[in-house]
Amino acid sequence: MSGLEITGLSKSFGGVCALDDVSVAFPHGKINALIGPNGSGKTTFFNCVTGMIRADSGRITYRGQDLTGRPPHRIARAGIGRSFQLCRVFPRMTVLDNLLCAVQPRTLRAKAGRSHSRAETERARHWLTRMGIDHLERAEAQNLSWGQQKLLELAGVLMSEPETILLDEPAGGVNPALIDRICALVSELNAEGRTFLVVEHNMDLVMSLSHHIVVFDRGWPIAEGPPSAIRSDEKVLGAYLGV
Amino acid sequence: MRSDSEPRTTTSGSRTGGGGRTGPLAAPIARHRVALGMKLLLYAVALTALFTFPDVAPSRYEVTVAITLLNYAVLATAWNFVGGFTGYISLGHGAFAGLGAYGTALLVVKAELPSFPALFAAAALVGLIAVPVGYAALRVRGASFVIVSIALVLVLLLVFQSWASFTGGSRGMVVPRPFPGMLRTEHHRVFYFLFAALLALALVTWWLIDRSRFGLGLKSIREDEDKAQALGTPTFAYKLVVFVVSAVFTALAGGLYALWFGDLDPVFQFSILSGAYMVLMALLGGVRHLYGPLLGALVVGYALEYSKLEYGDTPLHLVTAGLLLAVVVLFMPDGVIPAVRGLAARFLGGGQSSIREVTAAELLHGQRAAGSAAPPDSRTRKEVSS
Repeated sequence: MSGLEITGLSKSFGGVCALDDVSVAFPHGKINALIGPNGSGKTTFFNCVTGMIRADSGRITYRGQDLTGRPPHRIARAGIGRSFQLCRVFPRMTVLDNLLCAVQPRTLRAKAGRSHSRAETERARHWLTRMGIDHLERAEAQNLSWGQQKLLELAGVLMSEPETILLDEPAGGVNPALIDRICALVSELNAEGRTFLVVEHNMDLVMSLSHHIVVFDRGWPIAEGPPSAIRSDEKVLGAYLGV
Repeated sequence: MRSDSEPRTTTSGSRTGGGGRTGPLAAPIARHRVALGMKLLLYAVALTALFTFPDVAPSRYEVTVAITLLNYAVLATAWNFVGGFTGYISLGHGAFAGLGAYGTALLVVKAELPSFPALFAAAALVGLIAVPVGYAALRVRGASFVIVSIALVLVLLLVFQSWASFTGGSRGMVVPRPFPGMLRTEHHRVFYFLFAALLALALVTWWLIDRSRFGLGLKSIREDEDKAQALGTPTFAYKLVVFVVSAVFTALAGGLYALWFGDLDPVFQFSILSGAYMVLMALLGGVRHLYGPLLGALVVGYALEYSKLEYGDTPLHLVTAGLLLAVVVLFMPDGVIPAVRGLAARFLGGGQSSIREVTAAELLHGQRAAGSAAPPDSRTRKEVSS
């Protein structure tokens, strides 16, 4: 079953072509990975898919819905959540408020209603507990350690109830114990039915975690398939080792 | 049902975990009660002062200064709808005050509307104008937004100066007084309370937004706009709505000023200075706090009026404003309210340095306030004590 489908996506910055007519599809319900050397267009790809930057051309569909050219908040509402490279939280807000920001009221009445409703606070606590940072509920996010902030960001994304989650380098700058924890969380959440698309440089993590891998090089997907196939793909080895 | 002893387990557990101070369990609650009592006392004093001031003021001059300060307070609070919630620094908010003032004046003079319907009609018109202005200005962030907002004032200044046949140009414009037969002292008294009522309305509106989901969305824009968008917040619509609300309150303050003062000049109405004062006042008091802009307006406004009175036509009041700005930026980047609060916490609360300890104190208070503990609390308890 297809989830996120991208056809003919191109984006260039000035004369630099970051994405060159990329067409890929990511199966729904799986943990997908996107790998490639630095500058291969992974983050640009993420930003185009989530509407943060507008692609020059191409189509983005998600479960049959056309998302091309939609602003980021509409894409988030369609069920695609994302984390940011290097981790971004709302620094001068409490941990709890960080999560409550992800609650998107639809009606005017709900928008005017109190931000700390009981039901939403409990749902936020549920995610904080699951991440193991519920004791920090009232701390300001900027006072959290790097790893805690990573978990907080993930909790925030989950609070917005996405079906598909795009993670930009979830293991970047994180200690090995926490990497294991994040991996376990991703697997659990996937088992509960969430689709993942992970950009990551940590090859061990990618190979052990993902079901389907797409490899980018110079703005172009050069290979895709299960980890076993990618590991022995000559083009991939060439791109990484510069052979 | 949960027994009352469970919250206690929480605190003792987390307190030993934090390795912090050990005091009587009731300490945080007592401290909270003291704070609440102080708050109520402050409110009582402030309201009494507000209501009795026109009667106890030594002369009419003091009342006019008080009206000026209230006007500044409304302007700064109105500015803070945009500046405080979204973090967009508008230096051009003077434009909306000027439009409100001239709109009211023109509706009274040209359309012969009664004074107060004219005021509200002008504010509504400014709200409408703020939609396309905000639509254009809020597309850019940071320094670009500041420059766009400055451009708005300068353009309007030129328009209102040059279009003399309609606005009176540099000769100014006289606004008929709303209560023709009224004695001057009584006139000031009425406007003192009108400005106070407008301030109350602005503060209540700010407070309502502050506690709402809409307000939290706005604050997430201030913290990280891209991130807010990625979480599904319609950031542009949110910014535009609060921009219009801010413009309407600014226009109401400007229009009320026009009715009170009775004489308008484009140079003062469309001045970058008035916008800069709003920013300075809000920053000085603290943009994250309901009363920050009000407090800032009292301090900066009084300093301005004092230097104008003592040193007349010299530009010393500008030097004063500049010095105040320097003090804020250097010593109190978050404003007076957080600075004072931090000091108070240091003297009253003592060493609340670690995250865990604050959490414990607040948790206890929260659970006490809630009476019997709710399910999420029990979950927290397990996690903390493990």
